[in-house]
Amino acid sequence: MRTWLLLQHRVPTEPSAGRVSVWRKMKRLGGVLLQDAVWVMPATPWTREQLQWLAAEIVELGGEARVWEAQVAIGEEETLVHQFQTQVDSAYAEILADLDRADADRATLARRYQQVRTIDHFHSALGERLRAALLTRNGADRT
Amino acid sequence: MKWVTWEDVGIDRIGSAWLICRCVDPAAEFLLVPQGVLLPAEAEPFDVPGARLSHHQGHSTFHTILDAYDVHDPILRRISRMVDEADTVQEVTVESAAPGLDLICRGIRRTSPDDQTALERGALVYEALYAQLATESA
Repeated sequence: MRTWLLLQHRVPTEPSAGRVSVWRKMKRLGGVLLQDAVWVMPATPWTREQLQWLAAEIVELGGEARVWEAQVAIGEEETLVHQFQTQVDSAYAEILADLDRADADRATLARRYQQVRTIDHFHSALGERLRAALLTRNGADRT
Repeated sequence: MKWVTWEDVGIDRIGSAWLICRCVDPAAEFLLVPQGVLLPAEAEPFDVPGARLSHHQGHSTFHTILDAYDVHDPILRRISRMVDEADTVQEVTVESAAPGLDLICRGIRRTSPDDQTALERGALVYEALYAQLATESA
């Protein structure tokens, strides 16, 4: 059974920058928004630490935050796993498509790949393929 | 004086302890306590949520310490950017060494018998990083 972390929070509506900042940070961490103010992430030491700091930041913004550790008791969780995989895979697919263009800038695409990889919580096979493609495209050195 | 932080140190706590020794308190004594236990009153806490010397405004504890003690060394500012990029969520990243430093710090904790030893070994890494960055910017 998987363990998940839920970030439940309330951020003051004004200034709106606070809410936006929390949303952007959760996106950057690769979280999935379950409900208005409830984000979910797979529980790992890394996600736990990141959520702990984000919760502290929300409190600093004058809001409230709790991080819950949870398991799905009733209902299936594969859809949820799938949501995480989809957001990562679509980002990888975009990079793969860009890599196929004649004017592909591999260095820039490689940086985008590295960024997506930090939130690839379920180790996507497409990520491995993209990595191999980045390293071998255009007859460049093979590793 | 005494300083206290949570066990299982990583890039920010290792770096902050090194920074405290270097710039704030050369005779610093570090206490490491399990997450969640009551902090000893006689020690200054760092990198513990809610503490004065902790993450603030989206920056790492390392960064907070530089500000709190008015340290303006450009090399330390650069290292602070690395810790920020590795340990907090940043819109852009400009320090390619940041993920590497993060991995090495995690590995140091894994290969050290305890946190105290990890702080000592980690200090060598930060010392080396500082020396090299200083050479390159000279």
